[in-house]
Amino acid sequence: MQISALPEVFVLGLSNLRRNMLRSLLTMLGMIFGVGSVIAMLSVGAGARHAILERIGQLGIQNIIVNSVKPPQEKKSQGMEENWIDRYGLTFDDEAMLREVCPTIERVFPVNLVRKPVWFGSSRVDASVLGVTPEHLEMFRLRVGRGRAFTELDAQSDAKVCVVRKSLVRELGVLRDPLGLTLRIGGYSFEVIGVLEDEQFESHTRKALALDDRAHEVYVPYSTSMRTFGIATFVQRAGSEERSVVELDQLIVMAASPDLVYTTARILSAALARAHPRKDYEIVIPLELLEQSEKTQAVFNVVMVLIAAISLVVGGIGIANIMLATITERTREIGVRRALGATRSDITVQFLTETAAIGLIGGIFGCAFGFAVLRILVAFTGWTAIVEPHYFAISLVISAGVAVLSGIYPARRAARLDPITSLRYE
Amino acid sequence: MSDSVVAIEGVEKQYGTAETPVCVLKGVDLQIPRGDFAAVVGASGSGKTTLMNILGCLDRPTRGTYRLEGEDVSRLSDAALSRVRNRRIGFVFQSFNLIAQLTVVENVEVPLFYARVPRRERRRRVEALLEAVGLSHRLHHHPTQLSGGECQRVAVARALVNEPVLLLADEPTGNLDSHNGAEVMKLFHLLHGQGRTIVLVTHNPEIAAALPRVIEMRDGSILRDHAKTTVAAAGGA
Repeated sequence: MQISALPEVFVLGLSNLRRNMLRSLLTMLGMIFGVGSVIAMLSVGAGARHAILERIGQLGIQNIIVNSVKPPQEKKSQGMEENWIDRYGLTFDDEAMLREVCPTIERVFPVNLVRKPVWFGSSRVDASVLGVTPEHLEMFRLRVGRGRAFTELDAQSDAKVCVVRKSLVRELGVLRDPLGLTLRIGGYSFEVIGVLEDEQFESHTRKALALDDRAHEVYVPYSTSMRTFGIATFVQRAGSEERSVVELDQLIVMAASPDLVYTTARILSAALARAHPRKDYEIVIPLELLEQSEKTQAVFNVVMVLIAAISLVVGGIGIANIMLATITERTREIGVRRALGATRSDITVQFLTETAAIGLIGGIFGCAFGFAVLRILVAFTGWTAIVEPHYFAISLVISAGVAVLSGIYPARRAARLDPITSLRYE
Repeated sequence: MSDSVVAIEGVEKQYGTAETPVCVLKGVDLQIPRGDFAAVVGASGSGKTTLMNILGCLDRPTRGTYRLEGEDVSRLSDAALSRVRNRRIGFVFQSFNLIAQLTVVENVEVPLFYARVPRRERRRRVEALLEAVGLSHRLHHHPTQLSGGECQRVAVARALVNEPVLLLADEPTGNLDSHNGAEVMKLFHLLHGQGRTIVLVTHNPEIAAALPRVIEMRDGSILRDHAKTTVAAAGGA
């Protein structure tokens, strides 16, 4: 069979498929689902990968986050411990110690985290007030949409300035431009100098950063926070009072390079374990989270690949089945063609072209189907999906390939038919 | 006899297993010169169909040789036989065997397609040929829309489209009424008049009687090979 004859054979195949429209469509169904799931798989996979990178990458893969946590309650004896001030968490000494014992640390950023109400006029909102170094915002990819971030100068002068989220401003009922606004935070006046673009942290990130889910974040310079709010916290609840002192609420340790993250974390953990037998800290390694998520993602991907593969195999079997039926039905035509001079390979090519056409058309429908399913999926689950044009090309190649593969046996069977018997076949 | 289109010597055909062979042809010798018009007659089971299959290169003889225009085709490969059928033999069947999905033109084109004739050239030749058999008004109809006589004329056109050296017809009038049958036979006589070599299987004694040569078969051998010209010559002498 010459290549130049292929288009004609293809057109012939198409017209044969059109003659049995319903049957062809049913045959394609398996292909359509298969290709649809390939498209969905690739797009959801890419989307999820992107989301993971975005989410955990935000924490900085070079970083190790050490949070102070309230240690598990020891059995308190009544009375005298009432007035006790609960002292726990990381200390300034720890920071110095870590710098000393761990040469792989590039930098350490302290965070002072207090929970304070924010007032504007008569509206009140609960907030997590983070006293951070000027680098902090950039490190966590917090983009200042309006105004500016605070600088070294603000830090040195203990300026009472803050950077807030847009949502906080909205909740306070401020309609005018929030820049320059004065907010009362924990009884002190702070000027709003910057408004963050309103991209909320993902829940994983919030957890890693020990942020309260219900409170808004307000960023102030570290030194200002230390000077204004200090390290002691007093919380009054009905019937009890909690007093605690935490010198360092959070330390963000930056390893010298991503390769050194695990080494650094190990040293850190050993050093802290010795200094804090009470286990009043936790170590969060974003890189580890990333790798874990990728592992989970890999499981998901395997499942998706399996689903796609099974649909494609089922689709291929469907095609083979229908082609066998078609060949029985068209035995006489095959006999006539053979008598008129068709070689075995002519017959093989004719039927393979027909299956390829089924695969290709099924593939095109499958792309549309997959795209539609993806849209619905994204609308209902809120997953990220990334569709790239080459996914469609991959899918079409796969579907045509599967179709041709499943057409090989029927086509060869057709070609092997004895012309004399097929001519007499009723 | 180098001008024989068909030269068969000692052709045997066996079916079945080696232990229990069924002998369908038992040593057939046959010469068909160019321009001959022969009828093959005989009861069913006499081997005439097998003989036609071998003549048409659809089947290979178990023993003996078959020379088509001097070339031994009895041991050719399947692909080579396909080529021979395509270029040198035309088939007309009892049940027309037109491909239902294709139009008249497309049906006649099929042999040219397998001969790799370019599309435009194909169309030109097919249309000319269909006009010659009087079907130029039916070019784009499907076989189901044609009468039996018309179908058989399409089939004849298809058999002729590659200019074959040998035209084989297996009971071409078997599925036709007498009028259409007569029309189709007229067409065959016309082709014979143009110098075509035709071998035709028939059960109809009238048709056989009208042909210049009658080959009678029984039990896998040729019982009588009866050429009228010879008879006439003998009668004249």
